[in-house]
Amino acid sequence: MNGQKVVIALLVCTVVASGSEKITFMSTQLVPIAEAEWVRSELLPRFTKETGIDVVFVGAGYGEFADRLVAEYKAGKGTIALAGGLHGDYTPLVRTLTDLSKEFADLQALGDRTFIPAFVELGRLNKIQAYIPWTQGTYLMVVNKMALDYLPEGVDIRALTYDDLLAWAKNIYEATGDKKLGIPAGPRSLLHRFVHGYLYPSFTGYQVIKFDSPEAIKMWRFVKELWQYVNPAVATWDAMDTPLLSGEVWIAWDHGARLKQAIIERPDDFIAIPAPAGPRGRGIITVLAGLAIPKASPNPEAATRLIEFLTRPQTQVIILKGVGFFPVVKEAIGTAPEGPLKVLADGVMAQASSKDLITAFIPSGLGTRSGEFSKIYRDTFVEIVVKRRPIREVLSRQGRLLKRLFQETGAPYPPPDESR
Amino acid sequence: MKTDRLLPYFLILPTIIYLLIFVFAPLSKAVGLAFLTDEGRFTLGYFERMFSDGRFLEALKYTFLLTITIVPLQLITALLIALLINTRFKGSQLFLYICALPLGIADLAAGLILLSIFTQHGHLNSILYHLGFIEKPFYFISYQHMGFVFLSIVLAEHWRATAIVLVILVAGLQMISKDLLEAADVLGAKPWQKLWHVILPLLKPSLQSALIIRTIFALQMFAVVLALGGEIIPVLAGEAYFWYYIYRNNHISAAYALLLMVISILMTWIYLRFLRTRSEMRA
Repeated sequence: MNGQKVVIALLVCTVVASGSEKITFMSTQLVPIAEAEWVRSELLPRFTKETGIDVVFVGAGYGEFADRLVAEYKAGKGTIALAGGLHGDYTPLVRTLTDLSKEFADLQALGDRTFIPAFVELGRLNKIQAYIPWTQGTYLMVVNKMALDYLPEGVDIRALTYDDLLAWAKNIYEATGDKKLGIPAGPRSLLHRFVHGYLYPSFTGYQVIKFDSPEAIKMWRFVKELWQYVNPAVATWDAMDTPLLSGEVWIAWDHGARLKQAIIERPDDFIAIPAPAGPRGRGIITVLAGLAIPKASPNPEAATRLIEFLTRPQTQVIILKGVGFFPVVKEAIGTAPEGPLKVLADGVMAQASSKDLITAFIPSGLGTRSGEFSKIYRDTFVEIVVKRRPIREVLSRQGRLLKRLFQETGAPYPPPDESR
Repeated sequence: MKTDRLLPYFLILPTIIYLLIFVFAPLSKAVGLAFLTDEGRFTLGYFERMFSDGRFLEALKYTFLLTITIVPLQLITALLIALLINTRFKGSQLFLYICALPLGIADLAAGLILLSIFTQHGHLNSILYHLGFIEKPFYFISYQHMGFVFLSIVLAEHWRATAIVLVILVAGLQMISKDLLEAADVLGAKPWQKLWHVILPLLKPSLQSALIIRTIFALQMFAVVLALGGEIIPVLAGEAYFWYYIYRNNHISAAYALLLMVISILMTWIYLRFLRTRSEMRA
């Protein structure tokens, strides 16, 4: 009896004393060098200090991320203890992930954090809790204050409509001779998100259902008109922060993280505003990143502790301040950060609290074919707006591909479509 | 006696093993990806999707357009430089090294260098601005000026990859026997007659390998196009990349890769067939 206690005590001592536990955290998020450096030097040392567990943070593109998770799953032996990725990164990889239902219940039991329920639900894939919500992001607009002089009269900048945006960009063009509107259209840009999550819900009320409807045809006519005031160099821009800083663009739509640098460098020159509203409302996307434990994780216990740390309200605020990724637990939201990020947070909050909001989600359940969804909207945009092909013809052709994609995968239409 | 016959096979064994592991295994995997579903059923669906894609024909068109613009241009430039170097003027070796320098530049880097010239705040625009030709930057790289984008890609490839052709041709020229050229001189051949009737026919094997290598590389061209053209000018290799990394469907990506392979083999066959040297024809 006594002997047993001694052994246990010794074991505890060795674990504590060794203190050199080391785990690998691989993520498709926070990959850019500046962000990854922040994770390594600012975020994770707090965890190491608290738990004695060293964390090696590895940033990866989706290809590498997927390849490694699948390879380690097949080998049954892995090096990645914890994975961080977007909802869409996980959908094709569910079979390689542990069910985190119990871990999630444990987190809830702590009582200090309330996850946004819709996010938790999204993390349930193939009947398991494939990931636990980590951060959210959204797309909005950042405006150079110089553009405010040209704002059409009587327009509320926090309740902009697409018609207002057109009139505004037109005013600027007529006064300065420059096309100052920016929508990113480079090969790695997020143009497709603008089309399926912003334009479509705003003009038709849906992402998928009304893809080739008369409302959609009207919408595309509008987009073609708007395109006349979009900077012609957009095809080479993947993110709008650089052109905002260089002054080539005054009004830009993009992902918050891809606009952030502009505000950080010159917080007094820019404001963040909600995306515009169309006839049906203000369509916006929420992007969700989550934490998952691979089935081949060499140390699920340490990974679980890291999840607890990363979803703690205090940590969530630190992440917001550090890299501008927005929290997913209610206790952290509302704790507006100080400094330039307040400008961005203000925009995000204003957008999230708009009354006419239509929240769109990036579809799940398309599995390995989720990229094709993006492609259809992107191609549609390029064919109609850039190559000026007939709207009806393009819509009916791409619409057939879209229908077939959902039929073949059996995936549900993404909100707002399915909820109506 | 027996070992003598087997020896060559022992000697090429490492190469064969290498090829099996690193070329044939991935290749058969790619063929599998293009024709089999995740469940292992045979399908032509991926090819059907590829052919019906809105960007497919455009990618095919630009891949060929770029290839037939770049390859002949490079061949002519390389031939002229090689002939110049072959005159053995003073400093010709140094000149050769300078011309071959771009060989060391990665294609993506070449694309980015050209981008830094043509972008709206690039060198070209600032030169034009300082000379007073323009008042505000001209957008060379944009949807509105497909011609410029195409031209910049041709320029980047021409600058970067002509050197490989040059090196092959210089080597070929140096192998041509002096006796033949002297004989031509004795018989009173004019320089262009010497070029047309002596040098070019003897250079045929080098031209053939240069053409094959360059055409295959031109068909696979991707990084330069990605850097300069973005999505404005799609090419087949780029589509294979996009399908794998962005649209995340490795089946269709494999279909594009297979198509490229078939085209490459076809082109190689055409070159081998129509640029046969005399000794081969006799055989």
